[in-house]
Amino acid sequence: MKQIKFNRFSVPAGLAGVISAAWITSLAWLPAHADPPIAGTASTNSVAAAAPAATAVAASESHHLTGAELYSIHCNRCHPERYPTERTGAQWKTIMLHMQVRANIPVQQSKLILKYLQDNSGR
Amino acid sequence: MATKMQMKTNVIRYGVAATTGLFCLAQAGNASAEVSDADFNALKSAVQQLGEEVQSLRQTNQIETQTHQADLQQIQELRSKLAETQQTAVEAKQKSDAVAEVQSQPPERAPIDEATVNHNFMMLGDAEFQYDKSSGQNGTFLLADFAPIFVYRGGDNILYEAGFDTFLGNNAPSSAGASTSFQLSFAQLDYVVNDYVTFVAGDMLLPLGTYSERSAGWLNKFPDNPLAVDALIPGTGVGTQLRGAIPLGQSGQFINYSVYGVNGESSADGTGNARALDLGGNVGQLSNGGIASLNGSPSGGGRLGYFVPFKPHYDLEVGVSGMAGQWDNTLDMVQSHVWSAGVLDAALHLGPNFEANGEYILTRYGSGDQGEVTQQGLFVQAGYRLAGLNLELPAINNIELVARYDAVHDGLNPRVERYTAGFIYYITNTLLFEGDYEFLHSPDPTQVDHMVLQLSYGF
Repeated sequence: MKQIKFNRFSVPAGLAGVISAAWITSLAWLPAHADPPIAGTASTNSVAAAAPAATAVAASESHHLTGAELYSIHCNRCHPERYPTERTGAQWKTIMLHMQVRANIPVQQSKLILKYLQDNSGR
Repeated sequence: MATKMQMKTNVIRYGVAATTGLFCLAQAGNASAEVSDADFNALKSAVQQLGEEVQSLRQTNQIETQTHQADLQQIQELRSKLAETQQTAVEAKQKSDAVAEVQSQPPERAPIDEATVNHNFMMLGDAEFQYDKSSGQNGTFLLADFAPIFVYRGGDNILYEAGFDTFLGNNAPSSAGASTSFQLSFAQLDYVVNDYVTFVAGDMLLPLGTYSERSAGWLNKFPDNPLAVDALIPGTGVGTQLRGAIPLGQSGQFINYSVYGVNGESSADGTGNARALDLGGNVGQLSNGGIASLNGSPSGGGRLGYFVPFKPHYDLEVGVSGMAGQWDNTLDMVQSHVWSAGVLDAALHLGPNFEANGEYILTRYGSGDQGEVTQQGLFVQAGYRLAGLNLELPAINNIELVARYDAVHDGLNPRVERYTAGFIYYITNTLLFEGDYEFLHSPDPTQVDHMVLQLSYGF
């Protein structure tokens, strides 16, 4: 049986990996693909639903970024903005999935940007 | 017509008055004297004639009255028809307005074809062409780079993407013709597990800093990569990764993370000599057809980033990333050497016309012949679009001035520094013409100052 020995970097790297895996596992139990928050309404997320009423009110009064605003924030960080009319709705869905992974865009924000792009897409 | 009727009525009145007058005259005559038969007959005839005329006039009046009634009825009918016509016109205008309103609204969007919702295939990527004039050398057209990314989306959560690079170059010295290289840049499967976790597997772009993941030719504002990125860290690794982003509140802030395990580095010649470090060759498929990692343990790494937008076009992203693992080809963990890297990255946008970003890279690795080798490098670059000057000149507004400083010290050779200044002319938002001049400070005589012109296109 092969004996596995660890070097001095393996221990901290392994610890970091275990902690990260535990954290991610806990996140994985959260509802999958929660709907993005809509301006003026409380989130449908079960965590938000269980929050105190005061928190929910405060959240509803805060400004929720729109898809157009998020598009302006994210879509020229690495390249010139692409016009929504350049692609079809289905193509934008593919591109936003690509950009969501590549540019580390939160899923909720990505969905709002996608809706903005599809609403103004070429067809 | 009313005037005509009045005239006829007056004629009748005058006839009756005349008859009455003649009758009175006759009575007056009788009173004064006897009337002869002839006079009586004449008078009688006159009275009869007048009676006939009155009768005729009455008949005429009756006919005229009937005609007048018919005219009034016709007028009433015409008025009724006019009212109907006006109502029809109003209704027609209302219908016309309704049609115009409908036509002025954008056409209703047809539902997206279900097949393309479930899956979709696209080709993204970029292409570059260069002209290079190096100091002391002939200027030359250079680089026919076509770099497609084939992207296939299956459903809402699965994406497969593979990027390629094609290069054109001379054949080996003393050989005729040219050769084309076609190489796989990356090939990875992305599966969105939930809102916070995405699983990635394959030959992945590694998140050591952000440059490697966001450096396609038309994204980079310069025609070449920073020296330190090319020399010190691997661009890809074969393995698996978990990554995602977690929003912080509703203001757009979020943290993003990635953790991964890959085959890692290896030795180009199987030894532990420092110059044999191979950052990208340990892909699992051996040259002899075997399947194995070239060393005894995989590498691990990750990145933690924080993004804060102040408002659209104003934002800051900072990140820290690292990676560590065995690099030489020995399977003996005790005798093996460790390679490790740490990267700090930052990107800043101040309005739509200014951006700056940079990375600092530090790597260390043990070796059999050089002992512990420490490498470090950095790059800082900035761009400013002249549209920010509000000069109202289209040609000027399309220009962005760029500058970069980068340096690398690989621990084995003297430090190399480079200063780059140039411009980008945005022909369209995806077709860019770039011009740069690079000042190199290097002990390597082949690394000299040069000018590069590049046409790049993103698709």
